[in-house]
This record gives sequence, structure tokens and C-alpha cells, in this order.
Amino acid sequence: MTFLGKIIYVTVLILNAIVVLSEDRFLARVNLTPDTHNRSFGTNGVDRSVKYNAIQLIASIRTLTRIPLVPINILIIVYELVLG
Amino acid sequence: MQRPTYGQSPPLHHPVPQHVSTVPQLRSPPPPTAQPQSHGYDGSPYPQQQQQAPQGGNMFGQYGNFMNDPTAQIATQFGQTAFRQGQDYLEKNVNRFVNVSALKHYFNVTNSYVINKLFLVLFPWRHKPWTRRQASDSGAGSGQEAWFYLPPRDDINSPDMYIPVMSIVTYVFLRTLIAGLRGEFKPELFGVVATTAVVLVGLEILALTIGCYLLSISNKSQLLDLVAYSGYKFVGVIVTIVISEIFNGGKGTGGWVGWTLFVYTFLANSLFLMRSLKYVLLPENNNTNQGPMQTMHPLDSRAKRSQRTQFLFAYSYPVQALLMWVLCRP
Repeated sequence: MTFLGKIIYVTVLILNAIVVLSEDRFLARVNLTPDTHNRSFGTNGVDRSVKYNAIQLIASIRTLTRIPLVPINILIIVYELVLG
Repeated sequence: MQRPTYGQSPPLHHPVPQHVSTVPQLRSPPPPTAQPQSHGYDGSPYPQQQQQAPQGGNMFGQYGNFMNDPTAQIATQFGQTAFRQGQDYLEKNVNRFVNVSALKHYFNVTNSYVINKLFLVLFPWRHKPWTRRQASDSGAGSGQEAWFYLPPRDDINSPDMYIPVMSIVTYVFLRTLIAGLRGEFKPELFGVVATTAVVLVGLEILALTIGCYLLSISNKSQLLDLVAYSGYKFVGVIVTIVISEIFNGGKGTGGWVGWTLFVYTFLANSLFLMRSLKYVLLPENNNTNQGPMQTMHPLDSRAKRSQRTQFLFAYSYPVQALLMWVLCRP
């Protein structure tokens, strides 16, 4: 497979892994959702803790890439099935 | 018999060949004329040519007619307009993706800077002040100070992109040269090695950016700085590969020479990075005049500072060790 194809596959797989996690069954248990953890620290730029930043990162990746990942996954599946 | 008086005869045109040479008149000296006295005037063809204009008119007339021909003039103007449009298109599109003026700051180096910086990358233990020097843009209005860092020409601590670019190219050539010396050269090797190096740098920058975001380290216009700093390890890698190739036919994994050299260059590079990146990740000064970097809030907890120190240390030592080892493998 081409080099660029491999890179695209890796990024799509990682994004899939982040998006697929169930919010109420898994993330709430581990306290990685925006509502279970926060409001304990201030939210201006300097005071954010690492965990708050990680939570924001996960939440924004999920919100942004949930919708475009569906057609991209369909394309990759069709490519793998049809063209080997 | 008398000749009938004609009117004034039209100016005589010597026959001019229609396929004119493409050498424009202004750029190159015209070819020597057919006159026999051309040998004494080798240094200055133009005055010579103009003196001979009435006599050797056909050659000079050829050039004159080339520039006076309206078709040629139209073609010249069209070429100039096309060139200018191409330049504008290029400027507009390249400027959208790549900050060209910022890149120019990184390539503003001198020979002495390059030599001193290379020495500093390979032996950073005696260097004393590691802070980058700043200057203020005094042309601004009152009360508005635009601070900027001095270019590499004036400041040994400033990162440049000349050394990293050159060392990456040298690394690619060195790898393929050694493969050729072993008899296992193939033309795709250039692409493989170059892609490996670029991808490693890209992954490193990606990890660094994610780390900076997680630790809420705001970097204003410092992405190119980090790219430059991650290119400095190629200097140590090249030194290791060259010397270990001379001493034993093997690579960094072969024998004492290769491994001690690898450990030495790795330590030197890591110390260089830790000292240099201190201003990015752990800014300290709370003076009244603010530099272009962020200043730490005086109420910042020790936990955050120790987190950032740990992050800087983890970036400088283990990450660099991994990357340098990958680059030095056979």
C-alpha cells in the first residue's frame, strides 16, 4: 500500500477509536467527560489542569470528527472490499 | 548625357536578414564586425560598435531593427506582463501557506554563526548565557512596543533553519552513500530515507504540540522554532554515522566506538535542547518590559512548574534517545 495510504489508515483508525467510546458507559466511569470532572478549577488560560485539557481535547475530537468519519469509513470499506 | 535629377533618394536600407538572433541588444556584447580593425578594441565592444555604425551598418542595423520591430515589442511586453502575473500568483498562494518573512528570519545566518552553532550542538557544556536576545521595534508609536527576537546573525542562541535543513539533506546523502559503499544501493533509497527523516520530525512536532496543549503552554509563533530545534539532532547523527563507519564497517551498533559516540552526541544534543527550550516551556521573567514569550503567573503552583519541567526533561532525553537511535540504525 502507498505511504500516504498507510498514514490515512492510521489516522482514521485512531480517530475511530476515540469517537467510538461510549460517553455514559465508559467515559463517565473514568471521569473523562466535561461534566463529571470540571468546575473545580478556573477556566481561564493559565489555571487549566492537564486533565481538564485532556478532557477538552477528547470532547472536541469527538464532536468534530463524528460526522465526517462516517463517509470516510464507508469509502475505506468500499475500497477494501472492491479493490482488495 | 545628363542624368535626370530625381528627387531626394530614399534612405538606403541594406538588406537585413529576417531571422534575427535572439540575443537582445542590451545584454551581451555584439559579435565582432567584419571590419579588420576589431582586434585592438577587445575591451569595449560598445563604443567600438558605435563608431563603426555608419560603416558596418548591417550588423548594427540588425539589432536596431530587432528592437524597433513592433511585433518584438509586443512580445516583450507580453512576456513582462506574464512574468509579473506569475510572480503575483506565486506570492499570493505561497504566502497563504508558508509565512515567508518568518522563514527569512531563520535563514539570516553568517558563516561564523554556523561554525559556532555546530560547535555548540556538539559541545554545549561550557556555554554560559542561553537566553535569546531581544530588541524592541522602536518605530512603533508611543506606549506600543513590538518585541522581537534578534535574528541568528546577531545572537548565537537563536535557532536557525539553515543548519537543520542542511543536516537533513546531508543525512539523506550519507545514508545512500553508505548503502552504495556496501553494494546495496537502489534509487528508491533516496526517497525512503528522506521520507523517514521527514516523518520522524513531523511526528515529533505533533507529539510536542499535543504536549504543549495539554500543559496549556501557549506558544506564539514558536512552531518554526520547535521545528528548527528538532532538526539539530541530525548533526549528532551524522557525526556518529561517519565516525563509526570509518572505524568499523558496521553502524552505531557496531562495537565500542559507535556506541560511545552515539551516547556522547545524544547527551550533547539533549543538554543543548534542555537549555535552549527552557525559554519556551518555562519562562521566568516577570519584569516590567514583557518579551514576546509568555510570562509565568506569579501564583502558578509548583505542581504546574514541576509538570512542565518533567515534560521538558522527558522531551529532551528519552524522546531524543529514541529518535536518534532510529536514525542511527543500520
